[in-house]
Amino acid sequence: MSASVLQNVTHSCFALSYLCALLLELGRTFWPGKGWRVAGLAFGAAGLVAHSAFILFHQPTPAAPYGSLLLLAWVLALFYLYGTVHHAKQAWAVFVLPVVIGLVGLSLALATAPNASEFTVPEWAAGDRFWGIVHGLLILGASVGISVSFLASLMYLFQARRLRKKLAPGGAVPMLSLERIETMNRRALNVAFPLLTAGLIVGTLLLSQGHVTGDNWLSLKVLTTAALWVVFLVLLYLRYGGHVPARRLALLSIAAFAILLVALVAAHPFAEGGAK
Amino acid sequence: MNLRAIGCNVESAAVDLREKLAFDASKTQRALAELTARFAAEAVVLGTCNRVEIYVSRQETVAALHVPLMAEFLSEIHGVPASAIAPHLYEHADASAAKHLFRVASGLDSVVLGETQIAGQVKEAFESAQKFGATGPLLNALFPCALRVSKRVRTETGIARGHVSVSSAAVDFVQQVFSSFADKTVLVIGAGKMGRLTLKHLAELKPAAVLVTNRNPERASAVAKECGGRVLPWDRLDDALAQADIVLSTTGAPEPIVSARRYAEKVRPRRGGRPQVIFDMAVPRDFDPDIHDGDAVSVFNVDDLGRVAEARMAERRKHLPAAESLIESEVAKFVGDWNRRANGPVIGQLTSEVDKLRDGIMVPLLAKLNGKLSDAEKAQIEQAFRLFQNKLLHGPIAALHESSQEGQSGGLREALRKLFGLQG
Repeated sequence: MSASVLQNVTHSCFALSYLCALLLELGRTFWPGKGWRVAGLAFGAAGLVAHSAFILFHQPTPAAPYGSLLLLAWVLALFYLYGTVHHAKQAWAVFVLPVVIGLVGLSLALATAPNASEFTVPEWAAGDRFWGIVHGLLILGASVGISVSFLASLMYLFQARRLRKKLAPGGAVPMLSLERIETMNRRALNVAFPLLTAGLIVGTLLLSQGHVTGDNWLSLKVLTTAALWVVFLVLLYLRYGGHVPARRLALLSIAAFAILLVALVAAHPFAEGGAK
Repeated sequence: MNLRAIGCNVESAAVDLREKLAFDASKTQRALAELTARFAAEAVVLGTCNRVEIYVSRQETVAALHVPLMAEFLSEIHGVPASAIAPHLYEHADASAAKHLFRVASGLDSVVLGETQIAGQVKEAFESAQKFGATGPLLNALFPCALRVSKRVRTETGIARGHVSVSSAAVDFVQQVFSSFADKTVLVIGAGKMGRLTLKHLAELKPAAVLVTNRNPERASAVAKECGGRVLPWDRLDDALAQADIVLSTTGAPEPIVSARRYAEKVRPRRGGRPQVIFDMAVPRDFDPDIHDGDAVSVFNVDDLGRVAEARMAERRKHLPAAESLIESEVAKFVGDWNRRANGPVIGQLTSEVDKLRDGIMVPLLAKLNGKLSDAEKAQIEQAFRLFQNKLLHGPIAALHESSQEGQSGGLREALRKLFGLQG
């Protein structure tokens, strides 16, 4: 793809492609047919290609809310495509795509600069560039895990509600079994927690080594990330030690995702003009 | 197309007649041999517990086989008077016969709408006839097409979605909770008939272990023997419940054997949050319905399963118009394709015959005028003859193509054969 073509790829290209894929998937739930799925997959794949091209060309930094949300949406779009192919009969896209579209929309709403592509690697990374990137990647990895856990929790609550009401299995929205969703949730959390912990440790070290002010330690991002870690700790304890019903764990996972969103939306304390 | 589907099904004939008309392997072979030898027909015999049908196709130039003749034929094979058979036979001709087969293969003509077993039976019947050499061009095209259509109907409509019997609905529910069964334990409490039927369906999931408990140890042993399970004493019911992932209860107890309190105190704490599915197939119920929470434990009784089975059937019925419409379009396509294919040789023969007629007139004429005409004039005469021939044939060939699209070219093909003296 030439640079001029890449330059023409906008948020609308992939956001609308994802939206079309979602509408087609919804159509499939009401009017079963192979055509819906193929068309939905085609739109979803086209959206992912456009999304990838956009990220490659503009290289948004994960240190800014705009970039981190856009990158997270991209990873979840990959997750959507994998799930749609792997779990062909399940209403996978109906759960994942709204989150992807929501994250893209949120990233756009938070694009502070007129041209969001002008975000560059932040200054804070210049000295300890390697560790800065490591910190960013660890937090991004943890974010993916938390997002997957959030999606699994939504699916779990949906499926558990159907069972509680004793509704006919399958229906318009075929779902994975509770056990399968639970496994997905558990794996996502097991991956996310070490990444989050490591990311937090690296971030703390970077903060303590830099010219740190009290404001930076009390920035919304740092506080919410720390709160997220605590919620995770509670979640893991309840899961493995407390044997709490899975529905409650799902609700807590959703709360963790909400905290993650706040953490992502908050400006990075390392970034120029970081949030107070 | 000279195709007939003649037979009886659960609606046209009572079970005692269908039993008498049932085809075993030897009778099927005999019937196929007779049909091919005596009637020079292609044939497939389809026999299931709900229907006995014979699909026969003969050349268009010979008369079709009808109900009276087939009743006689069935009478010979099965030793039942033809007069007892004929009133219960139905007959579908040509496109209608193709449509009937497509509906049968898709489960639209079945007692349980959308059942999938019938497609396998149709395939088996066709393969058996094919192996015997009883099929020909038409049935070799029709049956694979019917199987393809049945697959389309099942995948593109919801006609085959979900289980529709009470006992098999349990499998659907259990699959909503568990995805793998190799590490699951099934506990059977009691020995009721419905429970055994449900256990049969659950056993297909191949659980790791089946535990059986009953107030009567002998009955427990009998059930355990039947399903390859292990007997647990009745006084260890709580242990068994704590261990089992799937519970199937069918006792004849007049009151619940497991109250909500007993479950909360003696079972739930020992399960460590692992999900459990309980099928309470007993009436009166064995488990207190308050145990159900749809998360850690889901309790389904006979009414729940029955409601699901009925809802499934109603859901399937909703897809009937879409399935019928798909079949209609496939029948039109098949008949159109078949007629176009059948028209080829007729058009070829017709053109060749008229070529001969033209040459029979034109060649002597040109010989007679030899020396009087220039080459250009000869070419003009030849061209004029060809033009006349094309104009003459255009009408019949166009009519043949047109009637193919309407699925009714058989009569026209026959008329052309007679009019132009073509070979059959």
